[in-house]
Amino acid sequence: MKNKTVKVVIAFVIIMSVSCDEPQTIVTNYVHPDGSVTRKIEMRSSKNNFKQKTIQVPVDSTWSFRDSLEINQKGDTTWVKRAEKQFKSVDEINLAYKSDSSANKDVQREASFKKSFKWFNTEYRYSEKIDKKFLYGYPIKDFLNSEELVYFYSPESLRHEKENGPDSIKYKALSASVRAKTDNWTYKNLVSEWIGIFSRLTAGKHGDDFKEETLKSKENEILDIVKKNEEKFDSLWLNGYILKEIIGESNAVKYRVEADSAIKTAEANFLLDFKNYSVRIVMPGRLLGTNGFIDSSHILLWPVESDYFFTEPYEMWAESKAPNIWAWIVSGLFLAFVITGVVVRLIKKD
Amino acid sequence: MKAGSEKYDRVINLLRKSNPELDSTAGIERDVIRKISEIERSGINFSGVVDFLFGWVYIGWVRRSLIAASVVMVMIFVYQQGVILKRIDKISRQVVVSDKEIIPTIDDKIEKLLMVYKNSGRKFPSKTITISEGQMKELLESVKDLQIKYKDLEELIDGDPELKKMIEKKLTDSNRTKINL
Repeated sequence: MKNKTVKVVIAFVIIMSVSCDEPQTIVTNYVHPDGSVTRKIEMRSSKNNFKQKTIQVPVDSTWSFRDSLEINQKGDTTWVKRAEKQFKSVDEINLAYKSDSSANKDVQREASFKKSFKWFNTEYRYSEKIDKKFLYGYPIKDFLNSEELVYFYSPESLRHEKENGPDSIKYKALSASVRAKTDNWTYKNLVSEWIGIFSRLTAGKHGDDFKEETLKSKENEILDIVKKNEEKFDSLWLNGYILKEIIGESNAVKYRVEADSAIKTAEANFLLDFKNYSVRIVMPGRLLGTNGFIDSSHILLWPVESDYFFTEPYEMWAESKAPNIWAWIVSGLFLAFVITGVVVRLIKKD
Repeated sequence: MKAGSEKYDRVINLLRKSNPELDSTAGIERDVIRKISEIERSGINFSGVVDFLFGWVYIGWVRRSLIAASVVMVMIFVYQQGVILKRIDKISRQVVVSDKEIIPTIDDKIEKLLMVYKNSGRKFPSKTITISEGQMKELLESVKDLQIKYKDLEELIDGDPELKKMIEKKLTDSNRTKINL
């Protein structure tokens, strides 16, 4: 832990997650029935600074670009960069993710496309998934109820609008509840991550005392110690008081290096440099299901924030269907043929 | 002239009196019946087509199989359409966000930053300080600049193995040198 406290780490993560120089980016995927994807990216920034390392998704010279400038009523200038590329399949998108040098290169992202022929209809499924960062974290759904979960995953501006809309009291209370619970979730994840890594580092060194299950049983106790000493965590960790409280005096001295390493690794996972952006998906045919939001033009929308994939993979998926007209015609003709046959038989019988 | 005319009348009379002799009445009869049956056959051609197309209705297992296939097909259709309608209905009740949500404005951004700042203050009361909106923006921009410079430095070090080795050596020498945020 040395000279970085838990609170500074968390504050840094929060601040970095909304740092203002990266462009406001919206990635729109137009999925075609053959599995090809037209990817359009719109980046807006107050500065004409669209370097690859500041953009949230991989974009290179193979894309076609269009620049423009917008000045609003207040006289604020917004630089807009639009990029477009046709990907033959999701494999090409995944290839771009693998050689990612964008601002979010530290996260593992993957796109997938599935086409299912179901005679009368063909169903399509497109998804983009971001891998989780914590190995030992808890899913957020264990901490929030269904209403809170919807609120948690809502776009920031929608939350803001609700908190200032007609039901502001209700939504402010909901927001406070979500914030309190996510705070608790964050601390618990940090402790859990430390336990997981520490028990891995000390595996086989000290009998069963530092086994993950053994330490997990003391998790709430450790969490209380961390919370109780939050203000002086830094100095208390440095002088070994907290570790002594957790694993005992003699072990605190003996396993100090492992404990420090574990907290550094946990810290690194928390210190994820991630720039938020939005993903939109346009599916072929009629939309059947999604876990995203729908905008007024019936395009699907997902905010992408680091909180969403800390402890669980964050999958943005959409399903749609398109009717197979030829199958409908063939089925209709077959049905008419069988019915006619039955009628002919009945007539001949008479 | 007269003699020629008489000769002509005689030949005509002779031809009139000499009737053709039928050598096979049975053959003629057969030909007539064949012609008649050909006419009848062209009249029942449609029935033949129907028999050809729907001959299967007289074969029990084929009839039952095709009827079963039709029923299954109708059931699949009804089931699929039912599921689809249910899902479409569910999706039509999902939250629709206005276009404003999609493209955050610059004002939203500042507000968001202030919200985070307030949030951080709430979380960490011991660190509470009062700064202006401008200072807050400046601070965050400085952090961002630093981050970009740090990335550039990292790339520079990664691209120069000698420099990397030298830095690693220095770091080892200084025994876990810490980098303050």
